[in-house]
Order: sequence, then structure tokens, then C-alpha cells
Amino acid sequence: MNLWHQLIGSLPGEWAQLEFMRLALLAVLLAAPLYAVLGCLVVNSRMAFFSEAIGHAALTGVALGTLAGLADPTPAVLLFSALLALVIAWLRRQSAVSSDTIIGLVMAGAVALGVVLLSRGGGFNRYTHFLIGDILTIAPGELARLAALALATLLVWGLLFNKLFLATLHPVLARSRGVNVWAVEALCSVVIALVVAMSIAWIGLLVINSLLILPAAAARNLARSTAAHLAWALLFSFLAGVAGLLISFYAATATGATIVLAALLLFLLTLPFRRH
Amino acid sequence: MLCCALLTLVANAAPLRIVTTFYPLQIATLNITSNAADVVVSNLTPPTSGCLHDYQLTPADLARLAHADVLIINGGGLESFLEKARRTAPRAKVIEASAGIELLAGNPHVWVSPELAARQAENIGAALAKLDAQNAELYRRNAAAYAARLRALTEKMRAGLKGVAARQIITLHEAFPYFAREFGFTIAGVVEREPGAAPDARELADTIKLVREQQVRAIFVEPQYPTRSAEAIARATGAKIATLDPAVTGPVSAEAYLQIMENNLAELQRVLK
Repeated sequence: MNLWHQLIGSLPGEWAQLEFMRLALLAVLLAAPLYAVLGCLVVNSRMAFFSEAIGHAALTGVALGTLAGLADPTPAVLLFSALLALVIAWLRRQSAVSSDTIIGLVMAGAVALGVVLLSRGGGFNRYTHFLIGDILTIAPGELARLAALALATLLVWGLLFNKLFLATLHPVLARSRGVNVWAVEALCSVVIALVVAMSIAWIGLLVINSLLILPAAAARNLARSTAAHLAWALLFSFLAGVAGLLISFYAATATGATIVLAALLLFLLTLPFRRH
Repeated sequence: MLCCALLTLVANAAPLRIVTTFYPLQIATLNITSNAADVVVSNLTPPTSGCLHDYQLTPADLARLAHADVLIINGGGLESFLEKARRTAPRAKVIEASAGIELLAGNPHVWVSPELAARQAENIGAALAKLDAQNAELYRRNAAAYAARLRALTEKMRAGLKGVAARQIITLHEAFPYFAREFGFTIAGVVEREPGAAPDARELADTIKLVREQQVRAIFVEPQYPTRSAEAIARATGAKIATLDPAVTGPVSAEAYLQIMENNLAELQRVLK
């Protein structure tokens, strides 16, 4: 950790002299590969709406954590999001209604519940920092948690990549090969939910989903293979994260949303190179 | 049957319904109306709401407002959210507690100074005495007694803070200019220009620079707001985190405001000595 501070502290620019910027940069670098990897998954398996729903529904997790008297509602958010991911996965299998309808109604229900719980006593505005997020005040302890989550996610992803890939591309073939499609899908939903839930305090639940899908979508414009897709997504994710952080410092804007705009810009720049 | 019950209720009770807009006014009014016959004091917003710039009215609040005979507001723009809603209570007489108190740059947080809280209590007492002749004498007496206790507390706090060397403080939002002026502190900066909204990188960097340059000893957070930003500043600068309560939430009891200020005194002495 000291090494990191020394290393970044030797860079030019006012931001590099500030401890909170160095910590925020580390957070961005830890989270970027996570978003890239999961983003590819989300984009390929058309789960963008699902991750959006999880991000918004995290509001209810915040509410439940606050009601339970937790000073930091993150554990409640993690638990609630994971549970919700399983509920959505289960409903998708059970119900005759199409999947986007299921996700839509679960999201609306969860957001409404969150607003109702938080507005009891009329103080909803006090929770706006969860809508915008705040990566600048990330504490060393939270960085450790983020690193652990990143490690666990990459591990699951590495172990299950082939099965996951097959299950999303060709469920019937996957089933004939003995892959438990539902279990794989559910696990992957839970991992996405955990990453989204963990990040909302830093990025804000209004824009968290775009960090997941924009770099992967931009990468898809350029990539000709699965490996290239991943590589481009990683590059864009890092690029948008670092650029957004630095721009937000000099422009005095909310960091999470600035990172999202940087990612959107990358997407627009890659649009002309799209393969038809 | 129901009709009869309602009729008796109206005939018997008809107490003077006093509604205060938020917690510190409720505590002051409880003191002023202590032992008054046929008076009901209730607060428009729950005692957990904090500063009203965050507030959203609920239907229950509007119902209380509609039944109010007297509405006691802080004034100074704190109740701007109430402008429209006040039409639902056309018969309520409005008492502005801050009447005659000069505002610092339009900042409405006057009650945070116990001296100005005494002025507010006197204002409320005088205005209530005009509206309710039956209890007028009692209101005046109670208000004078409570104001005297607040002034005694001010003196005690002034004496207790005299020996404190560090005079520069940083507070969470702009709630303390009157308090600081009363006790000779300078607010070097605030963590959140908009309470509840996290400062951006530039603001955070400026505050850290300020803490270092002016050697600010402590950053004061408020029990009603999240403390993440203040903690980040404390981590970067080694300044202490302490709690300063603007007395906007707490137990509904006549002694509550005095107790909160006693706690503030102890906390200031603890971190700034």
C-alpha cells in the first residue's frame, strides 16, 4: 500500500499528491477488470436489463440495512441483491411471462419498496448519495473488500467460463453436454448482483449498470473473437475509469457519472468500426 | 352513534392545537406551554427528520397541519417546502420564531446558538400570549424562565470554552455559524455544501488543503448525516472526528435542547483542549 502511494505520488499533477485520489484510482483499477469481464457476459447473454434491475433494486437493500440499524448498509445490500437475483432466475424459469416482463416487475416492486421504506419519516433526500455514489471517500478497508470480491469473481468466472459461454450461446447443446444450465445461470446472476451491489456506494445506483455494459458494448463493436472482445473490454474499462476519475477531479463533477460518460464516448467512437 | 361521539368530542375538547414545524421549536414550545390548560403541542415532522432542507411532507403531516390553530415556524427560509402546503391550514395563526433576529447571509440555523434560542423562546412566548388570553400570563412566565435557563447555559458554555486553544473548526454542513459566533469559533470550511450530497474531488481537495494550512484540529460531523466524506478528510490529514449536534433530532422532552448543548460543550472541550 505504501509502495502504491509512493509510486502514484511521484506522478505529475495535483491529483497524484492527494491520498484520496490515489485510493480512488486503485479502486477504479481493481473494479475495471471486474466490470469488463462481467460486462462481456452481460452483453453476450442479453442480461443488461437484469443488471440494471439489480442496480436499482439495491435501493431496497439500503433501506433494509438502514432499518436494521446498520451504520453501513452494504451487507444488507449484498444479501438482498443476491436473493433478488435468485428470485429473478427462478421466476424466469417458472413463469410463462417473458423474461423482460419478469425483470421489469421485480425491479419496479423492489424500487418502490425501497422508496417507501426510506421515505418513512420524510427523509428520503438523505439517501441521495446512494443514487450518485462516492468513490472519492473509499476507505482502505473497503478496498480490501473490493479486492477480495474481484479475486473471487475472476476465480468463478475462470472456472465456469466454458460452461457459461455454452449455456448462454446454446442452452440445448449445453444441456446435452451435461451442463446444469439453470445452476450456471443462477450462479452467474448472483455474481453480477454481488458486484453491482458492492459498487453502488461508490458509483451510484443510477449509473452503475452503464459501467458494466458500455465497455463491453464498445468492445463488441471492434472485436472479431471472444478473446478480442474481452481484451478490448478490459482496455476500455480501464481507460474510461482512469479518464473519468481524472476529468471529474479537474472539472469538479461527480466521479461515477463522469466515468460513465467517458465509457459512452468510447462506445460512440467505436461505433463506425462496427462489423455488420 | 358516531355522530354523537363526534359532537361530544368537539364540545368537550376544543383545545388550542399548536403545531411546530420541527424539533427544536417543539422543545421550546413544550417549555413555554408547560402546565397550560387545553393546549396540545405537536410537531409537523417526526423528531427524526433533522434539518428541514431534506424534508418531504407525508400525508400524516398534512393532516396535522390542517387541524392546527397555531403554526410555529422557524422562518428565515427553512420552511420553504411548506409554502404550498400552508394553504391547507388557512385558519392557523403563524408565529415566526426568528422574527427580529438578524440572519447571517440568509442562513436559517439560528436555534443552534443557545442565546438565539432564548430569543426564539421569548418570541414564541409573546406571540402565544397574544393569541391565547386564557394562558397569556403562564406563557410569558414560562418563556422568561426557559430563556433564563438558556442564557445561563450560554454563559456556562462561554466560560467552559474560554480555555480552548483551537479556534478553527470544520463542520459537516452550514448549520453552525450562529453557534460559532456565540462562542468565538471560526468555521474554516464545511464538508458538504449541500447536506447529504458528497463533495466532488475539487471540494474534497480544497477542504484537505484548508485543514492542513489552518491546522484545523477537528472535523465535526452531525448525528443526522453520513460521515464518509469527513472520515476521508480525517484520514488524509490526521484531524480528529467529533460530533456536534445541531439539535434537530432527539427525545421529545423539555430538557432535550439543554442536554444536547451540554453534550456539545463536553465534546468541544474533549477534542479541542
